[in-house]
Amino acid sequence: MFEARGLMVFYENMLALNNVSLQVEAKRIIGIFGANSAGKSTLMYTLSGIILDMKRKEEMAGGERITVLGQVLLEGQDIMGFKPSRRARQGLVLCPERRRIFPESTVLENLLIGGYLATARQKKETLDYVFQIFPALVPLKNREGGFLSGGEQQMLAIGRALMAQPRILMLDEPLMGLSPLVQAMLVRSIREIRNQRGITILVSEQYARPLIPIIDYGYILENGTAVLEGNRQDLLDNPDVRSAYFGV
Amino acid sequence: MAGADVRKERLDRGIKVRTSGIYAISGGKEIGYLILPRLVLIAGLLLLPLVVTNPYWQRVISIVGIYALLALSFDFLTHYVGLVSLGGAFFVGVGGYLAALLNTKLGLSPLFSIPLATVGGGLFCTLAILPCLPLRGVYFSIVTLMYPLLAMRVIEALNIFGGTEGIMGVASFPNRWVEQYSLIVVLLLALFGLRRLVNTDLGLVFRAVKDNDQAVKASGINITHYKTLAVFISASLACLGGAYLVHIYMWAGISTLALDFSIIPIAATVIGGGGTLVGPVLGALILVPISELLRAFGTLRIVFYALILMAFIVFRSEGIMVYAQRKYHQFEKWVQV
Repeated sequence: MFEARGLMVFYENMLALNNVSLQVEAKRIIGIFGANSAGKSTLMYTLSGIILDMKRKEEMAGGERITVLGQVLLEGQDIMGFKPSRRARQGLVLCPERRRIFPESTVLENLLIGGYLATARQKKETLDYVFQIFPALVPLKNREGGFLSGGEQQMLAIGRALMAQPRILMLDEPLMGLSPLVQAMLVRSIREIRNQRGITILVSEQYARPLIPIIDYGYILENGTAVLEGNRQDLLDNPDVRSAYFGV
Repeated sequence: MAGADVRKERLDRGIKVRTSGIYAISGGKEIGYLILPRLVLIAGLLLLPLVVTNPYWQRVISIVGIYALLALSFDFLTHYVGLVSLGGAFFVGVGGYLAALLNTKLGLSPLFSIPLATVGGGLFCTLAILPCLPLRGVYFSIVTLMYPLLAMRVIEALNIFGGTEGIMGVASFPNRWVEQYSLIVVLLLALFGLRRLVNTDLGLVFRAVKDNDQAVKASGINITHYKTLAVFISASLACLGGAYLVHIYMWAGISTLALDFSIIPIAATVIGGGGTLVGPVLGALILVPISELLRAFGTLRIVFYALILMAFIVFRSEGIMVYAQRKYHQFEKWVQV
């Protein structure tokens, strides 16, 4: 249902993504693994369209030139030229790296901002759902986002993304800087979201081990190139991948 | 499929790469490449008083020089220390009044009154700004915007320094050559001096304060100390401009605290390219004559002026100098990906 073909992104003359193609089937969890600077975030920005904003900003300020080539197809339609807001309305929602929650709004407000375009019924229903999968957020409802701990902020960020009624949810490094216990909780929640809501999920991480039990298919990025792809077992069987991304 | 796509590639010119190291002195071509832009600026500024014959435009040269100093001072404080001061007029006013007082009350000639006003005014402004230094971002800007307004009303209300009439009878320069050439030489010294300064270790600390002051504090550096020093440098430059202004007009009044002296340098910095130091000088060189030319339109002057500024910010917010530097150092070509 969702596909990327031959994505190439240049930051000035540096190749950040080299001919990356993805195939995402509905209701799957897709893992994207790679070290720092492998191009995970660039891939997420390109899929969600944020890269177009960055490109424009750099052009205005006379900074580095960003070149984006390739196609992003959502149900057969090329959406590469669409702005991030239009992509989000079509159900392609990004939960950005480092959470980017609104620090001066309360938890409830943060969630409502995410659901701005949803109908009142969807909003109410999703809100209940977010508090159901992340019960830790319930007592914090009226706390300002900036005062939450890292794990709580990540739950909030995922909740906010859910409020936008995604069909495809992209999570950029959702486990960054969290304790193993919280990581495990989030990984369970990610699987539940897929199972209960039928949302397709793309999740990127540096360290693949916590996510490997839940992914259906995975891509390994290295220096902007997708060097390996396969289902869980394929990835586990590759000795290089095992040592580099699973630590075994 | 991707083979058919092309993109524009930006590469440093070979000579730029060569001249960044020891090979800069390997031959005439390399030396020429480095010196040419600097020479054009220096020679251009020095030739200006010789080329311009109309007495009205000769006066404009001096005004350009003063605004260039103000813009330089603003650019340094904003883009290298991160303190956006909207109170340039306060510095000008302090420098101007001090020079006028030294000249009329103590009888010092411009040769002494201008340097004394520069250093003394810099000290006074630094002391005045000191309480606001812990402020950051827009708060610092707003507070500094208040200083010239405050000073203006204090002078008016207390009727000190000649009140609304100002201090008259300030000595002028012996002739226009002294006036213009001393100003241009001072401007060039300030420009190249600041360019040196921002690349020294001190400049590194300044830029670090701009980027992340908490990290600088964590490195065991007292940022208030460095901010104070930066404000002193910047204020001194603007006071120097103010002192010149007063000696050129032979009069110091509350109009030296006018908003123009805060705003036009900022506009010059935007047009010239912030953070380049040369840019603001070029910006002043373009803006001030334009503003004089537009006088023909009467009150519509400000409208055209504002439109030019808006066009620059919307379409070329990088500024002339950033654009020119890129064109000089780099070339572009289409490449297949």
